[in-house]
Amino acid sequence: MDKITSVNLTFSYGGVPAIKNINLTVEPNTVMALIGPSGCGKSTFLRCINRMNDIIPNIGIDGDILIDNESIYHRDFDVTGLRRRVGMVFQKSNPFPKSIFENIAYGLRINGIKNTYEIERTVEQSLKRTALWDEVKDRLDQSALGLSGGQQQRLCIARTIAVAPEIILMDEPASALDPLSTQKIEELIQDLKQNYTIIIVTHNMQQAARVSDHTAFFYLGELIEVNRTDMIFTKPDNEMTENYITGKFG
Amino acid sequence: MITHLEQELEAVKTRIFEMSDLAMEAIARSVESLKKGDVRLAERVIQGDSELDRLEIAIDEECVRVLVTKQPAAKDLRLVTAFLKINTDLERIGDLATVVAKETIRMAGKPPVKPLVDIPRMAVLCAEMIKESFLAIAERDAARARGVIGRDREIDELNMQIYRELFSYMAENPHSISPALSLIMASKALERIGDHATNIAERAIYYIEGVDVRHGAHEGSEGE
Repeated sequence: MDKITSVNLTFSYGGVPAIKNINLTVEPNTVMALIGPSGCGKSTFLRCINRMNDIIPNIGIDGDILIDNESIYHRDFDVTGLRRRVGMVFQKSNPFPKSIFENIAYGLRINGIKNTYEIERTVEQSLKRTALWDEVKDRLDQSALGLSGGQQQRLCIARTIAVAPEIILMDEPASALDPLSTQKIEELIQDLKQNYTIIIVTHNMQQAARVSDHTAFFYLGELIEVNRTDMIFTKPDNEMTENYITGKFG
Repeated sequence: MITHLEQELEAVKTRIFEMSDLAMEAIARSVESLKKGDVRLAERVIQGDSELDRLEIAIDEECVRVLVTKQPAAKDLRLVTAFLKINTDLERIGDLATVVAKETIRMAGKPPVKPLVDIPRMAVLCAEMIKESFLAIAERDAARARGVIGRDREIDELNMQIYRELFSYMAENPHSISPALSLIMASKALERIGDHATNIAERAIYYIEGVDVRHGAHEGSEGE
């Protein structure tokens, strides 16, 4: 069964559609990359998956997104529960101005976990999964703001996975990082897909080629083509996709 | 606007076309030397092979450089990967032309077994196949490349015909065995050149359409 299904999704800001009639499915435990020039709607689409756009005034939504075959835009749908199931990592790392430990423990606590041992164990596991443990284990009580940009971003991913989401959305998670940190994030994305379904927006096409199983190309709010990543980058079906990935425009 | 990637791909393309001209010339000259018993021409073919070897290395280096520095995608990627392989085919064609030239030298001073008709026909067919494949690449015309693939059979048939004919000569006259074997070697080399020409046509189709038609794969399934 598909993990995420977008059905004729149209989303507009103030009456102007930002994405039009998007039909897209994402299989569980895969990485889907969304590519396209700036303003093509890929980030808007990403934010529709955890209903992040709900907080913006004057928006309009048509169509639907299903997660595990259940409509997330149904009026009885539990949006808070949705955001627990769908974690998000942003372009700019945004750790809380708290200790490294607390950054991860916070999400657990607000989810009702009180057992100290369980919290400590989850913090350690999350930091290990993001390959950060060895770098921070001796300074867990120090401020997260003292970490490097790459470490902060991995901490944000650790924070996201600590609350055991099913889906992780990433909006250009490595675009502000140095090559080594980028490589670590990319490795992490590929490791994490064993347990999660991941959607990543990236401007870096080589990154899309390296980390994703499927790639979707957006242009002017429309989904132009979606296919296996190796097919998109060797033999795209659509000429616009071809022109974009060969650098003819965008 | 022409991008740097396009400029670099054009440069590789120019070199590989240059290499194809040299390979076709080597085929024509080697068979010419065989036909006329022209040892000096044969020696020139053998010397000229080093230029093909040099180009092979240069094109390989350029392709790898484009891959690592420009990370081409889609048809650009297919062009580079196809050229990496076509490059090897052309180099092998050059080597096989020297096989023919060496037989010219081996047969020097001996009376010809028979006037050569079919071997020059094979050479013409080989050169045509290569030329058509490269025109297909230049014009991105997959149908043209597809037209090349079946022609290898004509070369194979000529090769078998030459074998049969030369066997009868050898059976009749033991003195003809040595020169006849030389002609069989030359014919075999041309038959192999036909195989490489077919490879080039197949790689041209891959470049143009992204379809792998080797070993009958995807035959009759257009665009799959």
